[in-house]
Amino acid sequence: MEELLRMEHITKKFGDVYANRNINLDVRKGEVHTLLGENGAGKSTLMNVLFGLYQPTEGTIYLHGKPVRIESPAQAVKLGIGMVHQHFMLVEAMTVFENIILGDRNTKGIFINHDARKKEILELSERYGLDVELDKPITDIAVGAQQRVEILKALYRGADLLVLDEPSAALTDQEVEGLFDIMHKLTSEGKSIIFISHKMREVLHISDRITILRAGETVCTLNRGDTTGEELANLMIGRELTPSHYEKIENPGEAVVALENVDYDKNSKHNGLNGVTLTVGRGEIVGIAGVDGNGQSQLAQVVTGVLTPDAGRVDLKGSHVAQFTPNGFILESVSHIPEDRNKMGLIGNMSVRDNIVLKSTDTPQFSAAHGLFLKKKAIRDYALKMQEKYDIRCSSIDQEARNLSGGNQQKIILARELEGKPDLLVAVHPTRGLDIGATRFVHDTMIEARDRGCGVLLISADFDEILEVSDRIVVMFEGQVMGVFSGKNPPIADISLAMAGK
Amino acid sequence: MKHTNRIVNLLVPVVSVLLSFVIGCIIMAALGANPATALQSLWIGAFGTMRNVGTTLSRATPLIFTALCACFAYRCGVFNLGGEGQFLMGAIVSCVISTQLGITGLPAIILCLIAGALAGGIWALIAGVLRVFRGQNEMIISIMLNYVATLFMGVIYTNWLRDGSVPQTVAVPDETQLSRLGDLRATTAFILALVVGLLVYYFLFHTSKGFQLRAVGLNMTAAQFNGFAVKKFILMSFIVSGAIAGLGGSADLLGTQFRLINGYGSGYGFDGVAMALIAQLHPIAAIVVAIFFAALRVGSTTMQAATGVPTSVSDIIQALVIVFTVAGLAMVKLPQFRAVIDRMATKSVQKKEAV
Amino acid sequence: MISEVLLSTVRMATPLIFLALAELYSQRAGLVHIGLEGLAAIGSLVGFLVSLITGSPMLGVVAGAAAGILTNMIFAYATITLCAEQIVYGMAINIFAPALAAFIYRVYFGAGSELVQVGLMSTLSQSLGIQSDNFIVQLFLDQTPMVYLAYILVIVTVIYFNRTKSGLNYKAVGEYPKAAATLGINVIGVKYVASILCGALAGMGGAYLTTCYANTYVDGNVAGRGFIALAAVIFGRWTGGGVLLACLFFGFCDALQIRLQVGSFGIPYQFFQMIPYVATIVVLALLGMKKAGPKGVGKAYLPEER
Repeated sequence: MEELLRMEHITKKFGDVYANRNINLDVRKGEVHTLLGENGAGKSTLMNVLFGLYQPTEGTIYLHGKPVRIESPAQAVKLGIGMVHQHFMLVEAMTVFENIILGDRNTKGIFINHDARKKEILELSERYGLDVELDKPITDIAVGAQQRVEILKALYRGADLLVLDEPSAALTDQEVEGLFDIMHKLTSEGKSIIFISHKMREVLHISDRITILRAGETVCTLNRGDTTGEELANLMIGRELTPSHYEKIENPGEAVVALENVDYDKNSKHNGLNGVTLTVGRGEIVGIAGVDGNGQSQLAQVVTGVLTPDAGRVDLKGSHVAQFTPNGFILESVSHIPEDRNKMGLIGNMSVRDNIVLKSTDTPQFSAAHGLFLKKKAIRDYALKMQEKYDIRCSSIDQEARNLSGGNQQKIILARELEGKPDLLVAVHPTRGLDIGATRFVHDTMIEARDRGCGVLLISADFDEILEVSDRIVVMFEGQVMGVFSGKNPPIADISLAMAGK
Repeated sequence: MKHTNRIVNLLVPVVSVLLSFVIGCIIMAALGANPATALQSLWIGAFGTMRNVGTTLSRATPLIFTALCACFAYRCGVFNLGGEGQFLMGAIVSCVISTQLGITGLPAIILCLIAGALAGGIWALIAGVLRVFRGQNEMIISIMLNYVATLFMGVIYTNWLRDGSVPQTVAVPDETQLSRLGDLRATTAFILALVVGLLVYYFLFHTSKGFQLRAVGLNMTAAQFNGFAVKKFILMSFIVSGAIAGLGGSADLLGTQFRLINGYGSGYGFDGVAMALIAQLHPIAAIVVAIFFAALRVGSTTMQAATGVPTSVSDIIQALVIVFTVAGLAMVKLPQFRAVIDRMATKSVQKKEAV
Repeated sequence: MISEVLLSTVRMATPLIFLALAELYSQRAGLVHIGLEGLAAIGSLVGFLVSLITGSPMLGVVAGAAAGILTNMIFAYATITLCAEQIVYGMAINIFAPALAAFIYRVYFGAGSELVQVGLMSTLSQSLGIQSDNFIVQLFLDQTPMVYLAYILVIVTVIYFNRTKSGLNYKAVGEYPKAAATLGINVIGVKYVASILCGALAGMGGAYLTTCYANTYVDGNVAGRGFIALAAVIFGRWTGGGVLLACLFFGFCDALQIRLQVGSFGIPYQFFQMIPYVATIVVLALLGMKKAGPKGVGKAYLPEER
């Protein structure tokens, strides 16, 4: 097969850190080429280099055998490279049609020729089976449809090479099937696809060839037929995959939190709760599995008092909750590791020290005379103690929290949320964006809390994480509970079906 | 790390002031004056004699109050641009009480100050309520309230409490005026301003509620998730910042102004905002900046008399200080610039370690 | 009396339309600008001076626009290139520009000089030599070219944002600059263009006050119009047509207060003067929680984020 793209010896440094080091990648016409690697392996950096967002420190890119310099996304588009970002680049206030023609330079004239453009787009969408409703605003269409818009956008600009960055992350199983059909159609028409993923099953299903990245470097490129899932996993992680199995609890204590038929904005499929009934007992970890955006965020916010449910009953440690305020829940020893640590968990412009004591400056430990006098020394000593205990790596505890790495930021939150010995811990995507070491630390800490008698509600889009630590697994789909499964020897097939809403 | 940040944050306004003066001098020279003589007379006018120092401090007093008002509000993430209106409401209420109720002396003073603070707080609360419960833009609302307050003051001095044929109110009785500090023109109002500044500083940096208020100002969502009653903090910061401005209006009326007249208080609110921003919302620094601004204003009169350079040159200098400081503070936060600073910081640390 | 108020409404709404369009073009590119008051002040002064010197109010308006652009380049550089907070920097412009205007006035005319007056722009009917007391004739013909320009600009704006490719790209910059950049739209460029448009329109709005409305310049003559224009953009839901209606409403409030002052009824005139400001507050309060407007407004855009 004819070669379309070759990236040779690509190196990209940020300051003194290598994000990419001597990476080689070649993509042939009409193939699906997978980039496999963990978070931080350098996949996004490499793709941003390809798309002209970053300039490589060293290395050359060849398209159709000719060396090219790609200095901007606009140029990448001109060269026939289309990118579907993991976080869609769609303007929500505009319609599907407007999003597709946005930035168009191929047509002449000042005004938008609706009829002509729509005809072109419909031709494309029929040819590749990309079904979209052109006049709907982006906010009104489902995630899967938004993805089709993104692909159409790239094709409309004449892309021969499509980069799909973790395209299945936000999709249901059914939608993933649809996506694969589209990918097959694209390659059969001679388009090439760079597919970025770390889901082994999908990778083995769809790829022609697979290039594995690890710690910013190329490990190797394999044909799909010549490899197995285990081999890929080992190459990706760089060591034998030895999942540490925590012991699973089967007889939890009395309920810390119990929800009964809780509704919140129940007609919203992606951001609501519909008749949710659920308990978390003392000393157990209940894992909420499900594709992102099926009501998990709302669930977390209801059981931490941020949102007030529209209907239903919530009991906290046996007593009915009448008023939903975060403070009320905090006073009842509910801790929260929120989904977005920068937006919801930390005051980024405050120091590590201030963030550690954020919730407890009113207590006699840190202030005298009902908060009228802060005991700065006590706060400092305590923060130093926590820094050591939770291994928070920072230049000093006076450093602003926003300047720390994700893992260390998460440790600040852990220190704050777990030191108070909570009765209930609500952890939402607690390891998102963390490396393996930090992830392990978070898991160990959660298990420790559980063993101390804390009830843990773990919400995660990472199915492996759910399987790893949950004692019970609850699957959510479109705001509803689809099923409850044991965390010991979990029936993976059944859970997968439930996650797809079956 | 923290150390270098502090130095940079101090350096930016200092450099801005220097730059502004350089431009000011160029303008002076262009107008045919000798910049050195002009600056000298500016200095003498502001600080040359005790009398001038007194004038400067008395001019600084209202500015300190409005600057503190802005500091307090912005620390809680509230863009209260209504300092002027709140200041005027405080002055108006004090004027009415001191001239109409028939009480004089200390009881009247205390009553005036309390009522002035209340009036300012309530005036600010209008914007606060509309922001918290109607989701409205507090900047526009509070600015509109400035115009309303100014016009309301107009009603008072042209109609209700008009002093004969002159469009101004009757004066505050002598016994109700604040006493002067020794021979200085400044009055106890200045002391009150310093006390309020210290209290604001103590509250923000040494109490639990002040800590929480700053957290709310820096990240409202996180503050809410961590159990702080965000709406209460916001409403409170409207009330308190308004009360500070109102107290300022009251104290300035009893201390220096004595009667409401056309143009009183004009620009104080925005000046306060500018000073708070230059001081990077630090209340003590805000006091220093306010005195600096007042000195420029007082000194510029002497400068005009001595060299013919118009007083508005000093307004330009003040305006340039804010233009440069805000831009400078943004610049040092840029990633490119941060990298340079960090590198310099590590180098100096390495040097020290090597020694 | 009604016709009088309506005629006055058109006159009072015109500067607001210029200022509100300035804000609209700025916000549509993601730049919230609370410094219009300052831009209008400098535009008003420069417009006044140039029309005095050249004797041509038209040139005054052009010069006002140029002054607005120049001043707004400071805002643009600080907020776009240096990523300064837009609100804070708008505030800085509000302090800087009027100070500059006052300074230039003092220097040019000397301290304590008499009020200098300048001839106003002639209306269409004056130029055509038509004289009539007919209301319709007055409404449509007895207006300065600036009034017609304001309405033409509104129509152009509506067409630009709804019908043109460039307008679509422009809006994308205000909504989601990163997405716009990946589509090859020059985000920084659009933002600078927006600042030029904003400066020009705000400068013209200010110049209107000294070339078409009052025949002299006084400090503070913008009188909060910059802020009312900001409210008009919110009230008008960020569309050209909506902004026009909002401006006409606020212009009507202004016209009404002027008319009521004449009748006075023993009520202090200041209470009538409050009407436009109170109306702004009431309108915003009634508007309620509905969040709208470009999503990227107020946020700095850093091209290479990492």
